[in-house]
Amino acid sequence: MQLFLEQMLNGIAIGAIYAMITLGLALVYGILRILHVAHAAVYTVGAYVGLAVFSATHSILLSAGGAMLVCAGVGVLIERLVYFPLLKYPPYVPLIGSIACLLAIEELCRLAAGPYILSFPAQLPFPSFTVGGIVISSTLTAVYCISAGVLALLWFITTRTELGLAMRATSQDMAIASAMGINSHRIISLTFMMGSAVAAIAGILVGVYYNQVYPSMGAVPAYKTLALIVVGGLGSVPGAVLASILLGVGETLLIGYAGIPLPRDALAFIAMIAVLLWRPQGLLGSRG
Amino acid sequence: MDEPLLSLREISMHFGGLKALDRVSFDLHEGEILGLIGPNGAGKTTCFNTVSGVYRPTSGEIRFRGKRTDGLPPHRMAALGIGRTFQIVRPFPNLTVLENVIVASGLSCYGRLIPSCRSWKGRKTREEALEILARVGLEIQAGQKAGLLPLGNLRRLELARALALKPHLLLLDESFSGLRHEEIAQQEELVRKTRESGISILLIEHNMRVAMGLCDRLVVLDHGRKLAEGKPEAIRNNPEVIRAYLGKGGSANAS
Amino acid sequence: MSEYSITIGTLIAIQAIVACGLNVIVGYAGQISLGHAAFFGIGAYASALLTTAGGLSFWTALPVVLGITGLVGLFLGLPSLRLREDFLAITTIGINFIVVSVFQYVPFFGGALGIGGIPRIVLFGERIRGVSFLLLSAGFLAATLAICWLFTRSWSGLACFALREDETAASSMGVSPVRFKLTAFILGTAMAGLGGALYAHFMRFISATDFGFPMSVMILSMVVLGGMGTLWGPVLGALVLGILPEVFRPLTDYRMFLYAALLLMMIRFQPGGLLGENSLARQTFSRLKGGKP
Repeated sequence: MQLFLEQMLNGIAIGAIYAMITLGLALVYGILRILHVAHAAVYTVGAYVGLAVFSATHSILLSAGGAMLVCAGVGVLIERLVYFPLLKYPPYVPLIGSIACLLAIEELCRLAAGPYILSFPAQLPFPSFTVGGIVISSTLTAVYCISAGVLALLWFITTRTELGLAMRATSQDMAIASAMGINSHRIISLTFMMGSAVAAIAGILVGVYYNQVYPSMGAVPAYKTLALIVVGGLGSVPGAVLASILLGVGETLLIGYAGIPLPRDALAFIAMIAVLLWRPQGLLGSRG
Repeated sequence: MDEPLLSLREISMHFGGLKALDRVSFDLHEGEILGLIGPNGAGKTTCFNTVSGVYRPTSGEIRFRGKRTDGLPPHRMAALGIGRTFQIVRPFPNLTVLENVIVASGLSCYGRLIPSCRSWKGRKTREEALEILARVGLEIQAGQKAGLLPLGNLRRLELARALALKPHLLLLDESFSGLRHEEIAQQEELVRKTRESGISILLIEHNMRVAMGLCDRLVVLDHGRKLAEGKPEAIRNNPEVIRAYLGKGGSANAS
Repeated sequence: MSEYSITIGTLIAIQAIVACGLNVIVGYAGQISLGHAAFFGIGAYASALLTTAGGLSFWTALPVVLGITGLVGLFLGLPSLRLREDFLAITTIGINFIVVSVFQYVPFFGGALGIGGIPRIVLFGERIRGVSFLLLSAGFLAATLAICWLFTRSWSGLACFALREDETAASSMGVSPVRFKLTAFILGTAMAGLGGALYAHFMRFISATDFGFPMSVMILSMVVLGGMGTLWGPVLGALVLGILPEVFRPLTDYRMFLYAALLLMMIRFQPGGLLGENSLARQTFSRLKGGKP
């Protein structure tokens, strides 16, 4: 029982981190209908910049701030230089552009920091608990608190502010939103900045959680998050979050107990195909 | 009178709670031009889509040349001899005008394995398609990409494609909308010639002048129900029809 | 020709065959498929198993291999009939990941070790290797291109073009979407299976990682870069993407980066492909002919 609870807690933490990466993807898909594979590269950059700033200053706050700034910039650059000019082409054209971007940024990280696994020895300023014999480490507490905070903030921005309204209008119909006086180009850039900044936080959290930062750390999330946004219902942010947490828990429990013969990275896709057979529009997606 | 070419019996089509069609029945006879008219949202296009196989009606029966056809998919309806045009034109934009027509000429090949492996580049196919293009006055544009044509030509291209199916029945979905005056006259002439060549026609039309002038009989739909049916003069003077149009601010169309 | 350049040439020819197959699905029929390497892998594994464990010769195994990949293609093409475009794109990625996992983790397929000891192809009593393998692959590529050419001229091909352009209009003209989408899937995946069989007997050792998602991206990039829906585009794409890494080889560490950056530049500035409409190549060609660009 104790093992089960510990596994659950770890699974939720992993799911929460997935959620923070998937979120950016769901936001971008919602507004541009582009599969933003290069988002995983932004997350890798976040981990590296975070580590670099941390090594120089030993402040996790400065590290997070720096990583978020740099990643917001990288995200907007990708949007302006790659996606925007390719919007009028069939969807696989921006997708190939996105994959090329992912590879190029991964390679840049490798060239800049070397191909090795670096450790991220930060101590996050959160308390640890022991409840009924179960130890909740400070890292775990940090993952819970930060992801809950970030998700709540994003939920607030997208549903309760003028910016969120403009974002939803733009994702419904860019031309009409522009005609109503919304600067949709700026809204798109802001969406990329937000998603990318959250990816930076996710990068740092993963780096600290596993104590590992390496150039190809984005490779698996890049495609797994695609499956997650499908499971959630393309473009549905709550759906993406729900799917992420379910997957995090599912993966951890299945590896811990069932010992399925397939690797855990295939699980996301098996889940995806199962969900599509059952609900072709995804868990929380709308028909259409 | 002998058996009608097309007959709809008690056709209903529900979308969720919305009754787009409510027990609509009418017949279309060989050689006839039948007009389907009514205010916006009356269910004209839905009715069309049940005939052409896009929708399976919720209830009711459609017979074409004596055979039950409700629920058959569009490509089967085409094979049975129903050609159609679209209200919002649907050309194959990256194919040439000639190729657009040739797609329809392949009708007899698509259903069978061996013929579908044969070449469509034969001279006979090409000449037949060119002949149809000449009939609608598009032979000069034959080599152009269809995506580059103006609307008037696209409407005629749609007609040419439907004719290349060698249909018994032609469904024309607002084939006159968006056209200029002289283009409308040309198109009317084309539709008349088509009927003279032995093809029966069911058409939806918004422009009342065109519908009254062209059709032998009219069926008026309103709110998914059949409101009236008869010769154009009788429809013109039917008080219920006038009320349905005036009530919708449709007097401009009815004038 | 050095042994090394023969190897590169053979691999380019094999990948060009696979790219032609993807072009049938994506370029001719307009169906998106991001997991084409899965069929490449299924062809390779089928041929490897039939010739090692099954004891068949390459030539007797080949029809079976084409049948198997075509059938799997038919089966996996079914989602395309009911899924929206984006869902289909991600589903095909998922299929790729699952197929690779099955190869990697099911002992029947050799597990993580892959399959080794695949026999050489024997033709006219000769064991095919080196230049003769290159010629054999080129021959199969020529046959593939001939089939593609014939397909574009057949009513089936025209039906696929019509579906790509407008499915509703096409079906109103008697084109059955189910029938012709699946035709394109079967033809395209069988070509990938042919490429896979050649690959298995050329490498003589295969493992699941050869057929992962990065290979699918590579094949799709060949098709898009060369010019989707054109006859020669996939071949040109395979040549460019096959030769580029060799050109960059002296740059060692920077090689992969330059490759990715160049791919990005090409897709950014020639999104219609090198042989597509409005491409530089087409414009220059028509200018040379003296026509309007």
